[in-house]
Amino acid sequence: MLTLANAPLATAEQTFAIDAEIFHDSNLTRAQYAADIRADAAAGLNVEARELWAPTGNDIFNVAAFARGEVYRRYHGLNDVVVGGRAELRHKFVLGYEAPWVLVSMEGSHDDYNDTLRDSNRFLANMELGTRFTRRWDAAAGVVYDRRYDNHGESLVPGIPGTVFDLRGFGGYARVGYAFNEIVYAGARLGVRRGDVESTAQQSLPIFLVSTAIAADPVFGSSDLYAYRLRGTTWTGSAMTSIALDERSSINLSYADERTYAAYGNQYKSRVVTLLLTYRP
Amino acid sequence: MNTCRHVAIGALLAAIGFGASAAHAQTSEIVAAVADSRGKPVADAVVVAVPVEANVRIVARMRDAVVDQVGKEFVPRVMAIFVGTTVTFPNHDNVRHHVYSFSPAKRFELPLYSGVPAQPVVFDKPGVVVLGCNIHDWMIGYIYVSESPYFAKTASDGKAVISDLPPHVYTVRVWHPDQDEAEDTTRKNVDTTRTPHVDAAWQLRLKPEIKIRRAPMGERGGRY
Repeated sequence: MLTLANAPLATAEQTFAIDAEIFHDSNLTRAQYAADIRADAAAGLNVEARELWAPTGNDIFNVAAFARGEVYRRYHGLNDVVVGGRAELRHKFVLGYEAPWVLVSMEGSHDDYNDTLRDSNRFLANMELGTRFTRRWDAAAGVVYDRRYDNHGESLVPGIPGTVFDLRGFGGYARVGYAFNEIVYAGARLGVRRGDVESTAQQSLPIFLVSTAIAADPVFGSSDLYAYRLRGTTWTGSAMTSIALDERSSINLSYADERTYAAYGNQYKSRVVTLLLTYRP
Repeated sequence: MNTCRHVAIGALLAAIGFGASAAHAQTSEIVAAVADSRGKPVADAVVVAVPVEANVRIVARMRDAVVDQVGKEFVPRVMAIFVGTTVTFPNHDNVRHHVYSFSPAKRFELPLYSGVPAQPVVFDKPGVVVLGCNIHDWMIGYIYVSESPYFAKTASDGKAVISDLPPHVYTVRVWHPDQDEAEDTTRKNVDTTRTPHVDAAWQLRLKPEIKIRRAPMGERGGRY
């Protein structure tokens, strides 16, 4: 009791997160034709400091500052360092672990790539509604607005800007998860996004006709490749499994299949496999 | 149903000081051994002994109990108490907890707090009370509220000793949070009138425990 009486006022909880990952992207260029497609693997590290408050029994407010970096095996121009912050509020509508909840989060970051063309500031807003049906099943659906600010690309074509990474999009997703036990969890997610996408490819009429920005893209080691910004609809289906190593860490394997459809028959596919080790010291 | 239970408990308690006989001056004990279907000792099983005869002297061991919160878990995870016991829920973590139960045996809520909540909770109905925390969903605890003061909880070796029993015939039953069979199916009559020490064994059918996962998920990145 004396210990309790002397305990510091419990208001906020500070936590840290460290994520290390390796991933392989089958189509980094988001190109349609084999000649333009570039695949590569990369390693990434993310460190995050979080402060968590529970202003009421139904609300958890979380602010985080993070820094992360990625190093690519072949295309070093894609190596990047990202610093940013995030604020999120999770509200449960009623009491209990099965209570439906809403999550609102906003994230901002500065992305510094080896390749200046891709340097940008990002903003992400997300609202998600979710619930746990049982101790095993949970599901959520949400909407996401993303904005990437970039002014580095030089215009190559009169009247068409070079800011190919100045992008915005809006989308939604639904996901479901199943806990086999306290250790093994599996999930699936389907998302759709409508908005600007970037594709790096050789010159061609169909992509030129739909592009709203064009810039030279030397990152992939070929002077024939150009970065194009176009509007498209991207469908992403993904699946993951997470294996808890202990209460503080887990190893996670995910697979994502992404397909983008744009006007004039432009379409791109990519597959990303990620192995991620996450640790909360 | 509850009224009947209260009447029965009242009758048991009313018997305190009555019906005692000289023959019952010495006490006995039941040593219960609980294992799962593969013979592995089961910890955290509650063993309850109820005198078969109605007019048995009950020695009520009423005392306050504590369910702590340490490391964002309930400690102990399983606790057995006698009906009418007062339980306090001190929070030894440096974050606040919001403790609740929806169980019919006791519905209550201790809104977000740190330290010791002002009001303890009185558990005045027999049954199982499942505890949760609205901030940390993985936290789960169980309070078994026994209508009899004769109970014990198994340790990691699967053994529990119910001591200070007046020599009688008891109906003994076992409960465990992961039990995959009705508690009533574990009933056994145990006679402590012939010997002060009686061994009894149970084999429980358990289902895998489904706890909400505490370990972090690989939540980063839009790739998933």
